[in-house]
Formats: sequence, C-alpha cells, structure tokens
Amino acid sequence: MTAPLIEARGLGKRYPVVGARGDRIAALWHLLRGRPPGREVEVLAGIDLRIARGESMAVIGENGAGKSTLLKLLTGTLTPSSGSVSRHGRIGALLELGAGFHPEHSGRDNVRLAAAIHGLSGVALAEKLPEIEAFAGIGRYFDEPVKHYSSGMVVRLGFAVIAATRPDLLITDEVLAVGDERFQKKCIRWIDGYLADGGTLLLVSHSLYHVRKLCRRALWLHEGRIAAEGEAHAVAQAYEAWLEARERSEEPAAAATGRPEFHVATLALAGTDAGGALAAGTTLVVEAGLRGPPGERPHLLVGLVRADGTPVYGVSSEMDGVALAADPAGPGAWRARLCFPALALLPGRYRVRAHAMDPEALRLFDTVEREFTVRGEARELGLVRLPHHWEAP
Amino acid sequence: MPPAHRAVLRELLRREWRERYQGSLAGGAWLLLQPLLQLLVLAFVFGSLLPARVDTAGLSFPVFLALGLFPWLLFANAVSRGTTSYLDHAGLIARVPLPASLYVHARVLASVLVDGLGLLLVLLVLVLGFGLGPTPAGLAAALAGLAVLVVAALAFSRIAALLQVFVRDCAVLVGQLLGLGFFLTPVLYERAQLPAAFAGALAFNPLAAPVEAIRHGLSGHAGVPWVALGLSGLFAVLLLLGSIALQRRAGRHLEDFL
Repeated sequence: MTAPLIEARGLGKRYPVVGARGDRIAALWHLLRGRPPGREVEVLAGIDLRIARGESMAVIGENGAGKSTLLKLLTGTLTPSSGSVSRHGRIGALLELGAGFHPEHSGRDNVRLAAAIHGLSGVALAEKLPEIEAFAGIGRYFDEPVKHYSSGMVVRLGFAVIAATRPDLLITDEVLAVGDERFQKKCIRWIDGYLADGGTLLLVSHSLYHVRKLCRRALWLHEGRIAAEGEAHAVAQAYEAWLEARERSEEPAAAATGRPEFHVATLALAGTDAGGALAAGTTLVVEAGLRGPPGERPHLLVGLVRADGTPVYGVSSEMDGVALAADPAGPGAWRARLCFPALALLPGRYRVRAHAMDPEALRLFDTVEREFTVRGEARELGLVRLPHHWEAP
Repeated sequence: MPPAHRAVLRELLRREWRERYQGSLAGGAWLLLQPLLQLLVLAFVFGSLLPARVDTAGLSFPVFLALGLFPWLLFANAVSRGTTSYLDHAGLIARVPLPASLYVHARVLASVLVDGLGLLLVLLVLVLGFGLGPTPAGLAAALAGLAVLVVAALAFSRIAALLQVFVRDCAVLVGQLLGLGFFLTPVLYERAQLPAAFAGALAFNPLAAPVEAIRHGLSGHAGVPWVALGLSGLFAVLLLLGSIALQRRAGRHLEDFL
C-alpha cells in the first residue's frame, strides 16, 4: 500500500464562543496561559482519515456538518483542537470559493500571489500565466480588480491557478456549484484527466451526482462525526436514504400546522412489488385519494420525477378533462386512478408526485410523494425510452 | 525561510507597494515627492514663518527636526500599518496555510523600505543643500540607531497585530500611543533642554536613544548615546523574542478569532 498523502488521527475542532463583549479578551488570557480559549462549541470530533496517492474522496453531509472545517484542518489553515494531521506532498486547496483573492487587486496580481503560494513564481510563473489566463477564460477582466468579478469568475480564476500548478492533492470546497455549466464541464474534464494521471482529490459537494461521478470513496459527516465511510455509491445512497427519511418525518408536522384546503389524503402505487419496484415496460398505476370542502371537486396533478428531482412528465385531471370520482367515504372525499401502461422510463430511481388542486385547477395545494424503482438493464441514456426504429439508409 | 515563502513575501511586498500608490496620478513618484514636500514645509514653517527658539547647538532647526522626524515616522508608520496586518489578510489566512507572521513581516518591511528610501532622499538634500556632512563613525551610529528602530517596529507590530485579532480596540490604542510617543521621544526637542527630572525619565523610553543616535551621528552636534542605544537594542531584541513566544501561544488560533 502506498504512503498516504494526508492522514488524520482523532481529529477534532472546537470553536471558541465569542459572542459577548468580554469573550475575546478572556480567550486571549486563557491562550496566554497555555489553556484552551474558554467557552467552546464542538464542530468536529474523532475524525480518522487516510487518503493515499491516486485516491478520490468526497465529503458529504448537511450544512453545518463540519465539512468545511474538516477541509480547513486538513489543509492546515485551522489548528486542530485535538488529534493530528500529517501531510506529504503539495496540497492545493480551493476553500470557500477562491484562493483568498483580494478584491482590490486585479486578477493577474491575485494569480501571481496564489501561484507563489503554490510554489510557482518567477520564470515558471511567467510561462504558465497565459495558460492560466486561457483556462479561466474571463477575457479582459483578468486585469480588472477582483471586486468587479461575478462569483463564477472568481471560481474560474481560482480553479485556473490550481489547474496550472497541478498539486499532488487537490482539496476543493463546492467549486463546481458556482461556475456556469460550460465551466463546470471544463472543471470536471480537468479533474477527470487529473485523476487519470494519478492525481488525488478530496472534494466537498452537495451534488451527489458529482460525488458519484468523480469520487471512488466518500465520507459522510453528520454533526461533526463520521456517519459512514466507504465506496462512494454506497455512502451517497445511504445519505440520500437518510435525507428522504428525514423529509418524510417532517411532512406530517408541516401538515398539522396548516392543513391545506384541498389535500392528498392517500397515495399508493399499484403494480410495484413490496420494495416499491417494477420492471421496465410494465404498467404503473397511481391511486390517489383527495379531500376538500364538500361540494367542491378538486383536480389532481401527477408528476413523475427522477430521484434527483429532474422532472420527467406531468399531467393533471383538468388537462385530460377528467372529473375525479366521489369517494363513498363521505362528502368532500374524491378518488382517482391513473395508469401508465408500458412505462417508458429507463431503469433507475424515480418519484411520483401528487398535488391537490382547486376546482379551477389554478392553484396547487398539497404535495405528496412516493418513490419507486424501475428495474431492468438498459445501456440507453437519459430518462425515457422513446419509440424509435432504424431504417436502411 | 523556504523558497516558496520567499516568493510569497516578494508578492506581498509588491502588493503593499501597489496598495500605496495604486490609483494615484503621480504613482510611485510620491515615494520621492512626499518626503521632499514634507521637508519643504518644515523648512518654511520653522525657518521663516515661526523661527524656532529651540537651542539646537548651531544646527538649523529644519535640519534638526528632519533628522528626528523622518526616523520617527519610519518607526510609527511601520507600527501603525503593521497592526492591522492580520485583519487585512483575513481572507488569505482563512484559505491558505502559510505562517501568519509572514503578513506582518511583509507589511513592516514594505513600510520600512518606502520610508527608508524617503529618509535617504532627505539626507541627500540635507547634505547637498544644508551643509550636513556626517563622518563614517557618525554614519555607523545612525545605521545602528535605524536598525534598533526597525527591530522595535517589527516587534511592536507583531504583538499589536496579534492582539488586534483578539481585541479590536488595539489599533485605536496603538494610534493614540504613537501620538503620545511622538512627544515623549526627543523629536521636536533636545534631551538637554528638558528639566533634569524629565530628561532622566527619557531613559525609560527605548525609542529615545535610537532617534538621538541617528540625529547626533549624522549631524555630529552632540555625542552618540552608545550605552543607551545598546540598552534600547537589547530591549528591542527581547521584545521580538517575546512576540515570538506570544505567537507560539496565541498565534495558532488566529483563524478562530478573525
């Protein structure tokens, strides 16, 4: 096994609490006596981590889980409260979007300093400067003060420096979330090439798509501790499942506080097995029960979305000119049954979304979701199988 | 210092330079203009407008004042600019793992270089136009005094910059103390003119001896206080060591408080 580029043992971080006026001077006094700085909050504890050369690891977790703090500790801009970090090789970090650019100075000047920090200066920098300028692709803004940049441009410039310096270990914090799609692709292409050439990556991302695409391993942080660590797909899936479970547990609470005028009382999928899965090409049946004020017949809007929220198809009873059937359960109860025969969805995870609408089908009142999986093997790309055939030319 | 840090220091120096003169019409020419204009004002005010009655042992008052004022400004500018080093570089400190004192060193060094060049220019004018003619021994004394001032400025800046991170009142306080220090240091006056009790108290001001060493060394109108200068030098070095100890204790937590 190769030596790790970075290794953390029992890493923990506590931030001092400095809300009150006297807190700062008290903290200084404690530090001068060689003690911890007074009142503290723990944001990270017991992190063991080892990244070997050539590995790619993602850190995922909610906001406030300690992801950025972990990156800062690993990079060395923060001092750990407990544990230790050992680093080998050149580390290039893009933390909190940008390499610490100064708003008053031009992009060129900021690049000079950032490059010097990454060990690139003098003649070597002069040679690389055109390459950096081209990669950033921000045109004449390169010589403008950074304060005139959009946030996307700052990230482009920061990434361009990293791309030029090719660190042994690249640590980035949500860079891919800011740039436009074209630049994102450029970054991903660069990272792909960098990884293929033996580069090492540590990435924080909220995009599980990027995590799965770029990383082989993942670390899930929850409230400052490691919740799971391992193969990226498995960890991302566990995290997704946890997110969904939490969302579900929050839904009834929201409903209780303000029950909408029209709402989806029941939503079930027929045609799926016990695990909520059905084979590609079979029939999906959506059964919904709606409630509303007596005498007002609501409409039902049903949408199919991929697990990541990408819409696939949506249709309402009003569009199709269908009136919901009265439910014998009582006045104000309605039923609907919507069939999708020979379901064209490609294998993957999807959700059915049902919305209750007013009788005029103008307002959405309620949203209820059910998840399902389409089983099968397909090498086709995209979401649905479109009818097609090949003809002899 | 590793080469990477040297390169960063060089870039930080360039940046300091640019920050000073960027956007001004005269640009880097201010480096020459500023001290010369200052000298001109001094010569006019104290030479013609209100001729000073201070006994300067045969030295014209503008020359006497210039020889004290410019060294003092070199010290005071360095400390006041150095004090906010960490706050002004908070963005970098949060994102880039570098020894934080690098930022203070760049600030102080840049300030000392600019003011040192100004001082040199003023001396040139004094030598050519006002008949100043320092001896080699006098020059050595002046250089020693200057060295003590620079070390003291670095030490004070390191301490003030660190305290400023924890307690933001520090910069205001430093400004006030520098104002007070200006009057407690023999810049406007000669130590010999003070009542005996106050003249003795000047021994407790570590900046008095270096300023006097520069003035007396260059003008030759009074002896160089070598012993006092040695003590000041010792004080400056001890203060620098103290700042290093302070950095070791509290400097690890800069990012937490910035």
